[in-house]
Amino acid sequence: MNGSFNEEQRDCLQEIINVAMGLASDKLARFLNTFVHLQVPSIALVGASHLPAEIETRYQDIEAAMVSQGFFGNEGLRGEAIVLYQMENAHKISALLGYEPGDVSEIEMLTDISSILTTTFLNGLAEQLDNSMSYSAPRILSSRNRDIAEVLTNTSFHWEHALKVDISYQLIDHSFNCDMVLLIPGEAVNHIKTILDRILEEY
Amino acid sequence: MSHIGLISPILAQLNSGVVVVDDEYNVHYLNNFMERHASLQLSQVAGQSLFKVFADLPEAWLKRKLMSVLDLKTPAFSSWEQRQYIFKLPHLRPVTSGSQYMAQNCTMLPLQTDAAGQPLICILIEDATDAFVYHQHLSRTLVELEKANRQDGLTKVLNRRYWEEQLKQEIHRAQRYQHPLSLILFDLDKFKDLNDKYGHLGGDFVLIELAAFIGTLLRDSDLLGRYGGEEFGIILPDTPLSGAQEVAERICKAVADYPMLFNQQTIRTSLSMGVAEMHPKAHVLHDDLIRCADMALYSAKRAGRNRVCCFQFGETEYQKKVN
Repeated sequence: MNGSFNEEQRDCLQEIINVAMGLASDKLARFLNTFVHLQVPSIALVGASHLPAEIETRYQDIEAAMVSQGFFGNEGLRGEAIVLYQMENAHKISALLGYEPGDVSEIEMLTDISSILTTTFLNGLAEQLDNSMSYSAPRILSSRNRDIAEVLTNTSFHWEHALKVDISYQLIDHSFNCDMVLLIPGEAVNHIKTILDRILEEY
Repeated sequence: MSHIGLISPILAQLNSGVVVVDDEYNVHYLNNFMERHASLQLSQVAGQSLFKVFADLPEAWLKRKLMSVLDLKTPAFSSWEQRQYIFKLPHLRPVTSGSQYMAQNCTMLPLQTDAAGQPLICILIEDATDAFVYHQHLSRTLVELEKANRQDGLTKVLNRRYWEEQLKQEIHRAQRYQHPLSLILFDLDKFKDLNDKYGHLGGDFVLIELAAFIGTLLRDSDLLGRYGGEEFGIILPDTPLSGAQEVAERICKAVADYPMLFNQQTIRTSLSMGVAEMHPKAHVLHDDLIRCADMALYSAKRAGRNRVCCFQFGETEYQKKVN
């Protein structure tokens, strides 16, 4: 994490994200009827322009998909959540979601999974911040053969900061990894800081 | 008028559908948009099952979506791009658009009611027919564009770029599965004389006629492309040298016996053809195979044209110094 957050703010954010993640995993576990183990997510605030290179390394030569969903809440909290995952993982969780093969298109499966992961997490986050979120419909930015890094370069162009949250979902009998990237415009980062400061004051 | 009082007229005017159901999927509310489009009255359907009121709904699919809304308290979405519509409704531009039903973006939202109340789901239905229609136009245009991008403008056979791409792929495939693969390159004999005698329009006419005629002599899997001015190539997958030679001999004879009528004049022409079979070790690159077929083609020219020559291993570049 760079200097955008001070140490207190960073610890506070990490704590809030941990709790949000716990809420999300609890909900997912009940919904999916399986035990969900979530590792403590690692978070980092990076310049959005630095993101593509890192993602490129990570998803090189892998069939990966990328789904984006806009979110906006009160107090200027807004941004775009991007979920990246390997296609071979997507099939595992689609079975868990109860899809029959051929029941829904691959794209619909991807947007559903991503939307569930994104909104359960962000709802939990909003709850921690005494906020509430609205969402745009999830959209596939790329799947299969498109170059993930290139698409991300074009997407992250408009955003100053990216809050990168590495999430690893482990389900019984299945392991499922994905990256969640929250792209946040500069002024929204300031709003987050204000919110964090208020929470810190209340303690 | 209080703000609460505004909600009802706004819902009535809203150009989107609003449907509210409870956790047993019974209809709680419909706005005017839904009443009008589905020819229903809220008073008649309130309390009835959503799936009875709208019999065409994809029930199992929608139930799973609605269940995730109830369980996770998160919104669920459906886009016309994956599912053209959920509610089978007529749309407002039946005349000017090609589609019969309203394309829809749907959002299913958990409704915040008081803690004790029954959980409710709000289904928002947006008309996306315009986007759907534009997308259809775009898809059609892309198909045409892709076709144009593969074709040679004059003769309508594959253009050189696409044909070479196909050759690379076929070589790759033949090597992987150890299938035979042959290549024919051919030239129209004395094309320059044809141009001089009948003009460029006459020359173009011959190229178009012959390309179409030769196309009828090939199997579906053979790939005919225009390599350069009057030079063409045929990729023959799953074909050894002997088979390719047979095809070439047949084409060579048929073209020589094929009179073409241009401006009341009969034009006759002939081909010089070179055939080469891919050898997995010698032809790693598609250029190598083209070079061998090209050498055979020059042998055919040197031997007097209107004939087929096959590439023999051991042939070298110097034989090319003809023509």
